Amino acid sequence: MPSYTSLVPSSEAINELLARYGVRFGIYKNNTFKEQLFPFDAIPRVIECDEFSYLERGLKQRVRALNLFLRDIYSRKQIVKDGVIPEDFIFASGGYLAQCEGVLPSKGIYSHISGIDLVKGKDGKWYILEDNLRVPSGASYPMIARELCRRSAPKVFHDIPVADNRNYAELLRRTMDHVNVGGINVILTPGRYNSAYFEHSFLAEKTGAYLVNGSELSVEGDFLYYNTADGKKERVGTVYRRISDEYLDPMNFNPESLIGIPHIFDVVRKGNVALMNAIGNGVADDKGIYYFVPKMIKYYLGEEPILSNAPTYLPFYEQDMKYTLENFDNLVLKDVAEAGGYGVVFGNKMTKEQKADFITLLKAEPRRFIAQEVIDFQDLDIMDEGRQVARKADLRAFVLTADEPMVWKSGLTRFSRNPDSFIVNSSQGGGFKDTWVLSR
Amino acid sequence: MGIISIEQADHILWLGRYTERVYTTVQLYNTYFDSMIDGVGKSYPEFCEKLDIPNIYESTDDFMHRYPFDRDNPDSIICNLLRAYDNAIVLRETIGSESLAYIQLAIYDWKKASENPAPLMETQKLIDHIMAFWGITDDVIDSEEVRNILKAGKRIERVDLFARLGMPPKSILREIHRLCPRVEKSSLPYDASKLIRLNELANNDKIDYYEIVREVESIF
Repeated sequence: MPSYTSLVPSSEAINELLARYGVRFGIYKNNTFKEQLFPFDAIPRVIECDEFSYLERGLKQRVRALNLFLRDIYSRKQIVKDGVIPEDFIFASGGYLAQCEGVLPSKGIYSHISGIDLVKGKDGKWYILEDNLRVPSGASYPMIARELCRRSAPKVFHDIPVADNRNYAELLRRTMDHVNVGGINVILTPGRYNSAYFEHSFLAEKTGAYLVNGSELSVEGDFLYYNTADGKKERVGTVYRRISDEYLDPMNFNPESLIGIPHIFDVVRKGNVALMNAIGNGVADDKGIYYFVPKMIKYYLGEEPILSNAPTYLPFYEQDMKYTLENFDNLVLKDVAEAGGYGVVFGNKMTKEQKADFITLLKAEPRRFIAQEVIDFQDLDIMDEGRQVARKADLRAFVLTADEPMVWKSGLTRFSRNPDSFIVNSSQGGGFKDTWVLSR
Repeated sequence: MGIISIEQADHILWLGRYTERVYTTVQLYNTYFDSMIDGVGKSYPEFCEKLDIPNIYESTDDFMHRYPFDRDNPDSIICNLLRAYDNAIVLRETIGSESLAYIQLAIYDWKKASENPAPLMETQKLIDHIMAFWGITDDVIDSEEVRNILKAGKRIERVDLFARLGMPPKSILREIHRLCPRVEKSSLPYDASKLIRLNELANNDKIDYYEIVREVESIF
């Protein structure tokens, strides 16, 4: 009788096939680039049909509100004028780009691909940990893993009604086509030494988009072109860029960028190419802004938030600073400017000296940090050297926005291999598992 | 995939060249290895001279291990294989994951071979992976242009190597005949006079191998 552990005997074979297909991520350590395999655990995370429907409603709601927020911030700023969000949190955010003021992206969509990180608490409730609205990565890993899992245990997938997640490329292509303003779709990569290069090339293969780097694109007149080997130029209609804002255009952002395309932002501004995701989205996935997302949902949609944030405090506010200092040992503190599991410290893990230094920094730069209750999230079983053990795991859900938000019926479940760690990021040594959404 | 950039065309061409370089040199290595077992017949200095690579080896044993497996030696088989990979990895969407996987497998198995006290037993796997790579690229790459550039790279490298190795005129002529239509169909700008000249050289009674190498290297 197939069960959720039926794939365990095939675990080694699946990991070998993942290695064969080059399923890796790159990391820089001590100034050296290394490619690492992303360890796959064969016990899936299983989400029941009803539970996923609930998540789906909450995720769509959240992404709708975030898109409306971005549109508002780069135009009227009504939410600031109405006092819902203090302006400090907008203009002091590293993700806010003044150059984007008044620039309306194609079809008014800012976050085409949103990666929303969630955890399930031991109370059975899902909590949003963070929103990733710039260049969220990770969908390719469960896509290819599912393909291999199905090969290794066809009966499991025949008997258990798991929603097929191999339609991600189709959803992505639909998203690209929806905003395309005329021309080809391209995926812009910083190159093979980027940590997510496997994903860039895999998604290009699966969507039929052209994988390009900055040197293969050029701006002429008011348009963006792909320069072909026979000397011709193909107009580009959509750029799914996997380069961060500051490196995208040396003429408009970081002048030292060698991987960007000079003047691409001018083409975007004129509406002659669609950029996915839009530039300037960082203002909405800032860890400080995260605190305000439930307020945004009420403000823009007039609805109660379906999904909850982890209880969060902003030391920027006096009462929250007081709470943070009084409950320091029970909180996790996050630097709003950091990502990838970096800049996260647990109050109870610090020495007395570290704590004193941190509090001095916190008082000097209160806007820089948020404090959160440590969510005691559910462990998931993984196989560790032949033993079934419990480890912390999160879920990155992907919401793609074309004419409406679409929630991919899967997600990237990352787990910590360290029994004492809550940090699941691949760059910190974590692994991943398939996410099964049951279709009935 | 209907259009490709100059950069991609360059990667495709060199992918063809490096896979061929690995394929031909590993077979040559097999032949020399066998001959050197008895300590008579072919020698590694002769091998290096023929391939026009520096003779940095201290002994037959040193050559037998470092030529195939030394990552710090830019002329080694592993380095050429890694260069094939460097070109393949940036072409996943053009050549397909299945094709790329054979280069990846070749690297895995060649690394394993380096740990085997009898590496000759493992060379067949490497040859198999390269042949599988060529086979699958023919099957999965829709674009005729891409296939032709890849094969043009492969044929250029083969003519180059065969000329350096002083292969019989018949073999050289056959390879030049295989090369010309690939170059013509590649859609890349090329010097047509070089193809004419290569045919003339291969049909001469006395083959000028050096001239063939020079001409084949300047087609594109």
